[in-house]
Amino acid sequence: MTADGRPAGWSMEAKERFLAIVSPLALLLLWQALSWLNALDARFIPSPITIFEGGVALIRSGELWVHLGASLWRLAWGLLLGTIPGIALGLLMGLSRYVRAALDPLVAATYPIPKIAILPLIMLYFGLGETSKIVIIAIAVVYLVLINTMVGVLTIDTIYFDVAKSYNAPWHKLFTRVIIPGALPLIFAGLRLSVGVALIVIVSAEFVAAKAGIGYLIWTSWETLVIENMFVGIIVITVLGVVSTFLLKELERVLIPWHRDR
Amino acid sequence: MRDDGPEASPGGDHAAGGMHGGHRQGAQSGHAVTAKIVVRDLTKVFHGRNGVATQALAGVSLQVGEGEFVCIVGPSGCGKTTLLRIMAELETPSSGTLEMRRTAAHGRPLHAMVFQEHSLFPWLTVLDNVAFGLEMRGVPKKQRSEQARAFIETVGLQDFSEHYPHQLSGGMKQRASLARAFVNDPEVLLMDEPFAALDAQNKVLLQEELLKIWERNRKTVVYITHSIDEALLLGDRVVVMTGVPGRIKEILDIDFQRPRDVVETKATPRFAELTVHIWRMLESEVRRVRQA
Repeated sequence: MTADGRPAGWSMEAKERFLAIVSPLALLLLWQALSWLNALDARFIPSPITIFEGGVALIRSGELWVHLGASLWRLAWGLLLGTIPGIALGLLMGLSRYVRAALDPLVAATYPIPKIAILPLIMLYFGLGETSKIVIIAIAVVYLVLINTMVGVLTIDTIYFDVAKSYNAPWHKLFTRVIIPGALPLIFAGLRLSVGVALIVIVSAEFVAAKAGIGYLIWTSWETLVIENMFVGIIVITVLGVVSTFLLKELERVLIPWHRDR
Repeated sequence: MRDDGPEASPGGDHAAGGMHGGHRQGAQSGHAVTAKIVVRDLTKVFHGRNGVATQALAGVSLQVGEGEFVCIVGPSGCGKTTLLRIMAELETPSSGTLEMRRTAAHGRPLHAMVFQEHSLFPWLTVLDNVAFGLEMRGVPKKQRSEQARAFIETVGLQDFSEHYPHQLSGGMKQRASLARAFVNDPEVLLMDEPFAALDAQNKVLLQEELLKIWERNRKTVVYITHSIDEALLLGDRVVVMTGVPGRIKEILDIDFQRPRDVVETKATPRFAELTVHIWRMLESEVRRVRQA
């Protein structure tokens, strides 16, 4: 104990945070040390410093921004074109028993198809350009948003509809004050899943048919055996995932404040 | 049919003669003189999805006077909530009529309901929850916050108006629910076991508060409860219901003086007498249903 009564040293929380930062750094150091000692074959596993230099070179030449820009563009459009109809259809299916009865079998039958399996078909219909990549993301995403939105509406407690009805809520108020906020937590869960799936789909699609994009960077680096650039691509797509998840979480905190300290 | 005045009442046309037996125009003194709510021969049958029909109410007739506090007590499944939901227009009767007569100027809602717990919208703050009815009626934002804040203060939640329901205790939630109904200044208050989920101490506090607010404006109240105590403490009359199907077994006049003190009223011999009377009635009924 110190003089003012606090326990000496760090709090448990500080120790945990310290370990969380130190352990990956230690791993990187170990990796670098093994590379210096030639314990790792540099042709297959480049050292962290080589990867870093590769990344800097890609940034300097502007190449990385081209790939990143291309992927982001497709992701943005694909997510937009998938989530908007997904939310709209999900709301309709959640609110109308008949719409649900009509669409449920279609959704259930087509949802399990691995979306990347229909990429050739999509390319046949939409060509080899940007459209087919945007479409494949939209298709992959629409199911997740639709199902989550529908369940979100269906799980709103009936008492809230009773309260709204007993105060004669006009339909637009019922929508903005009850249905949308009631379904919002699950809609957001759908969005978070969508971003993850969209990243998988875009990289796979860019492996096969693209002139630019992070997936294209990884694939051409493999073909030309510039392994450090492959690692750069993998890191960039990971950072993309982490950043977008973080942004969505922040957006959620702003839009769903009643969930914050649960 | 309920939004019409005593004269133009399409639903009550055929009954205009005999239905309002106790109704005398202009006589406002004393309860049960001016009928505010007239229920006649109400039945309700629910049809399940598998085709099974359940009768919830069978031939229920009841009059509630202007400014009267009527408690409906009965075991679960006796149809009391169904009766209240029909009054609140959340259900429609299978047969029979229900008339709720508008006596105040337009602009005031005819009725408002206080629900069981968990009826506050989790996504709205206490202020927005309380102002919900006003918002639905199109009251401008500034005006409705002012009115809502006044009632939030009445129920002692002024420090919590920006809180969300999950940050409140059960008792605070039901205070907010009371404020949400009262702020609309309805002619009739419909209350569905609002304090059932509270602990004993909180229940007494809220009962006292409800009585205090009610003494001030003497609205017509229909209050559902499964607690005999609560019915006797709050009501001018207690309607005892039994099921299944739900019907009225007896209606008792409760003559404890007002304003009532919850704890003192409970300690009177008359209170014990009435409690035993109602309990005997319900007990035999509950046993009968069990054996059937």
